[in-house]
Amino acid sequence: MTALEKPWAPHTLERIPSLTDLVGNDFSLCYQCGLCTGSCRTAYAMKYTPRQVMNLLQLGRRDEAVASGSGLLCTACYSCTFRCPRGVAVTDLMAAIQRLTLAENHADPHIRRFYQAFMRTVERHGRFHEVEFLARYYAPNPLRLRGQFRVGLTLLRKGKVTLRPPKVKSQKDIAAMFRKAAQIEGRP
Amino acid sequence: MKYAYYPGCASSGTAKECEESIQAVMRSLGAELTELEDWNCCGAAIATGVSYLLSLALPARNLALAERAESDLVTGCSRCYMNLIRAVHYTQQNASVRQKVNELLAEAGVQYSGKARLRHLLDVIINDVGLDVIAERVTRPLEGLRVAPYYGCCQGMWTYAQFDSVEEPHCFDQLLATLGAEVVDYPLKTACCGGTLSMSKRTVGAGLISDLLAAAGDADCIVTACPLCMFNLNSFQNEAGRIKGTHYNIPVLFLTQIMGIALGLPEKALGLQRNAVPVGGLYKKIAVGTAVPSGEASASGPR
Repeated sequence: MTALEKPWAPHTLERIPSLTDLVGNDFSLCYQCGLCTGSCRTAYAMKYTPRQVMNLLQLGRRDEAVASGSGLLCTACYSCTFRCPRGVAVTDLMAAIQRLTLAENHADPHIRRFYQAFMRTVERHGRFHEVEFLARYYAPNPLRLRGQFRVGLTLLRKGKVTLRPPKVKSQKDIAAMFRKAAQIEGRP
Repeated sequence: MKYAYYPGCASSGTAKECEESIQAVMRSLGAELTELEDWNCCGAAIATGVSYLLSLALPARNLALAERAESDLVTGCSRCYMNLIRAVHYTQQNASVRQKVNELLAEAGVQYSGKARLRHLLDVIINDVGLDVIAERVTRPLEGLRVAPYYGCCQGMWTYAQFDSVEEPHCFDQLLATLGAEVVDYPLKTACCGGTLSMSKRTVGAGLISDLLAAAGDADCIVTACPLCMFNLNSFQNEAGRIKGTHYNIPVLFLTQIMGIALGLPEKALGLQRNAVPVGGLYKKIAVGTAVPSGEASASGPR
């Protein structure tokens, strides 16, 4: 059953701060043409396509959109946003859904760890560091690393990854920015 | 031509060959790129999934640093460029976003006012260096080489919106034609490579890469303008092939690598030995390609 075939949920139009964000990306402007979905390379793998997600938001059924995990498949290529005839910032809305999916524990723990490992590495070093990222990402189930083995070996052989993390002088400043953001956004 | 230069994390690691070739080619073209001191990660495609403010403030810190250095900021990574220009746009559009971002930047002791001008490497190469200058410098025309330009997705769109058509960019085609290559047109040239999905959701990510490689199929090589696409298209050809029950072995080069070859720069300076899919075969194809017309020339006398 698709989102549109389901009986309409009670209309709750309260504005969700994390959804409407700070930029004017108002999903109520969407007139369901589907250009976003037509432009999306990963829509085929989503439970709810971008157009359907916009529709769910209009119907006040954001929880369904969040629980579906569709936002996690968005690659943030911005095709939908660039093409939207109504000027809806679809990509930013999908990102907001993605944030909620991760924050409200609807995502596969492995995918959650992917985001956490990346951000933690950047918080600690100011830049991305492949080795530390992989260590954090795969620590709970190292067997999964097998899937990355061939790629990792090539990177090592070609001298592209170093064991030593990058050095950014103002690493403390970056960490302070992370703390401030968490404080403003009310994240743990 | 002097610029502050933002390499980005991919260029300093998984796509080191991009960085090496950018430096070599830009130096030979007389453009001076000074690495932005103490730059930080732009948040890639990940920060938006965790924090809206960080997804803007991380790139904004780099813009603030460029502003302090009073230079234009150039980056050779489309993903970084997209994040940076998104920060530029959003902070300009919305005073409350600007204020919140600056609140974060204050923690790092900098402020961003919107003065620093952001440029993509391709923009600098085409509009500042100029195709005419590049044409003069070509010592090894890529004749006979069939090259598929991969513009990348709308990370590209943000890029091309500044100096080319958003839906049908052609600057890359012109550049490759200037180098003497035969440009291969294919429908997916502006489609997304999947970004980080190749790591976080392999089945979907590898599928997107597979479609791209298949679409550019009969080209001798693919050329990208983004180190992340470079990593994806190079490193996951096995996985991509398995999905379609086929085997890909198509060299993928960065735009400055193919330029470097045409400009006659040494292989090592272009980091060609670092490419996951070996590129040695391309030299033979160019040699064959150029040998044919010169052979004809000698047979029919000097032209």
